[in-house]
Amino acid sequence: MEDQACPRCKTTKYRNPSLKLLVNVCGHTLCESCVDLLFLKGSGSCPDCHIPLRRVNFRVQLYEDAAVEKEVDIRKRILRDFNKKEEDFATQREYDDYLEEVEDIIFNLSNNIDVVETNKRIEQYKRENKELIQKNKHKWGKKENELEELLEQEKLEQEEKRQEMAKLELELQKKKVQQKEALIDELMFSEGDAKSIVQTFASNIQATKEELQVAPKATGFSSGIKFSQQSSSGFLPVPKIEEGPKYKYVPISQDFEGPTPPNWKDLKSKGFLSNVRPTNDMDKASGFEVSVPCLRALQEAMSCLYHNPKTHRKEQIAETI
Amino acid sequence: MFPVSSQKKHWLFTDEKEIAQLREQANAAYIVKHGSHMTKEKRENHFLSCQEEESLLRYWEISMKKFCKNFNPPMPKATAATSLHYFKRFYLRNSVMDYHPKYIMVTCIYLACKVEEFNVSILQFVANVNGDKEKCCNIIINNELLLMQQLDYHLTIHNPFRPVEGFLIDIRTRFPSLENPDDLRPLIDEFLEKVFSTDAVLIYAPSQIALAAILHAASSTKANLDSYVTDLLLSREQLKNIVAAVKEIRMMVKGIPATISVETMKLLEKKLEKCKNPENDPDSDIYKQRMEEMIDEDDISNNKTYAKLTHSQSECSNDKILDQIFDQSICN
Repeated sequence: MEDQACPRCKTTKYRNPSLKLLVNVCGHTLCESCVDLLFLKGSGSCPDCHIPLRRVNFRVQLYEDAAVEKEVDIRKRILRDFNKKEEDFATQREYDDYLEEVEDIIFNLSNNIDVVETNKRIEQYKRENKELIQKNKHKWGKKENELEELLEQEKLEQEEKRQEMAKLELELQKKKVQQKEALIDELMFSEGDAKSIVQTFASNIQATKEELQVAPKATGFSSGIKFSQQSSSGFLPVPKIEEGPKYKYVPISQDFEGPTPPNWKDLKSKGFLSNVRPTNDMDKASGFEVSVPCLRALQEAMSCLYHNPKTHRKEQIAETI
Repeated sequence: MFPVSSQKKHWLFTDEKEIAQLREQANAAYIVKHGSHMTKEKRENHFLSCQEEESLLRYWEISMKKFCKNFNPPMPKATAATSLHYFKRFYLRNSVMDYHPKYIMVTCIYLACKVEEFNVSILQFVANVNGDKEKCCNIIINNELLLMQQLDYHLTIHNPFRPVEGFLIDIRTRFPSLENPDDLRPLIDEFLEKVFSTDAVLIYAPSQIALAAILHAASSTKANLDSYVTDLLLSREQLKNIVAAVKEIRMMVKGIPATISVETMKLLEKKLEKCKNPENDPDSDIYKQRMEEMIDEDDISNNKTYAKLTHSQSECSNDKILDQIFDQSICN
């Protein structure tokens, strides 16, 4: 900090806390009061390097090292013209070469190497690429405009928020005053117990405070995108399925048209299974149980045993009618 | 389940008379169609009669059984039985003169192999056929759809073999006084084989046929199953009906007429050669011509569509050119 001093009047930040160091294109610093003094006419020469300077070009020094400041300045100026982009080059190699050239120029200018030569190079480049520069400038402008608009909007919103907050605070204060007055009025004119009156007021205030503490729901991300739209369109409401009467299981019944065959239980209890070959391990592994074909054979033996060919046709006709 | 099957609904008939009637109808329909220009006497001489058709069918049924027995890999009985079912059903609606039994026979067996999940490829199948294998392949493939259509696509067949197993399990469980029910098996199998030479499968339910087979086998070995049937299996009201059915089935099996001699068979074949429908004979010129025509028809229809397409495209391009000329004239 103590290094920050004006090279002309030797004032330091320590002695003058409001010291403002300014810098110009040459990269040499001057304090604000010296600038005022030296550039009364709007232009003059730098006390260090005697380069003619304009007052409007003075700006606040951002970096401690003035050389950096100078380089930034030069870079800004150079890049205004050397504004080609990667898309403008056919190969990566060419683009890299171009970037190197730009860096060379900036380095030369900021370190005063071959200044005349370098300036010539810049001029030549400008002449050769006049159209492209113009075009890219336009593009840049567009982009910057957009960004600026965004910033502007954000600023506006912040301003609004601040105003709202201020308003709220004002109201809160007003309310407090009102409540106090009401309390005093109550104490003055009512005939009730003073303690209980104070208590009820205190509890009222507590209640309103709690109400206020419920923060308003955030409706957007910090980036300004509203998330209410996304969340509402992200999930469709689940359609409600109308529930009819509950399903009731009715066991399948079959008319065997013959003697009733045994059922699953009978197979074991009445000993049918002991008369077929037992289920072996291999069968079990494949999910096979002897009881299934056993029952099937029995069912098929009994089914339609009462079949009567003489009446069969008549029954069919009756069925179709 | 048999009670709700298509077999019970559509393919069980009242008696042998009804079946004979159906066959007569098929025979008559063919004669009317192909012999309208002949006198009555000439017709009788030229075409096969119903009896002649029947004896031919019986001959072919026997050769069908032989074919199935000698089939390699060995064919399950149910598959052979199913194919016989198909064969019988097919000739209820069609005359022997319209479709030669030897072609329908192989087709029936091949279809039965598929339906009964007896997995053989067609090459494996025709390896069992004597003669031209490739021709046989073509016959099967050409006739398979026809056969299914004539069967009304009722392909599931309930055979009496499983009911026999059911009865044997039941006898062993509920009627232990019969000592060795498995001794009956050879006789049962013999009976069932004979049953398929009759029309019993077109009249009675498979369980009834199975019961008839078991009772027949029991009476042949002098085993007594009467009390099983009367006391355990059936109630008194139903008894009469079933006993009658069993009796009828056994009568039918007993009454199988003797197979015709090879000489008469050859005579009949000669007669058939003259009166058969040449359109369905793969050896005839008409059949070959028809097949070619069918292929040609496909080509022709393809050509037609192609012509149509090219025509519409050319029209379209003409329109475009006209438009262009029109535009140009306006510009000028």
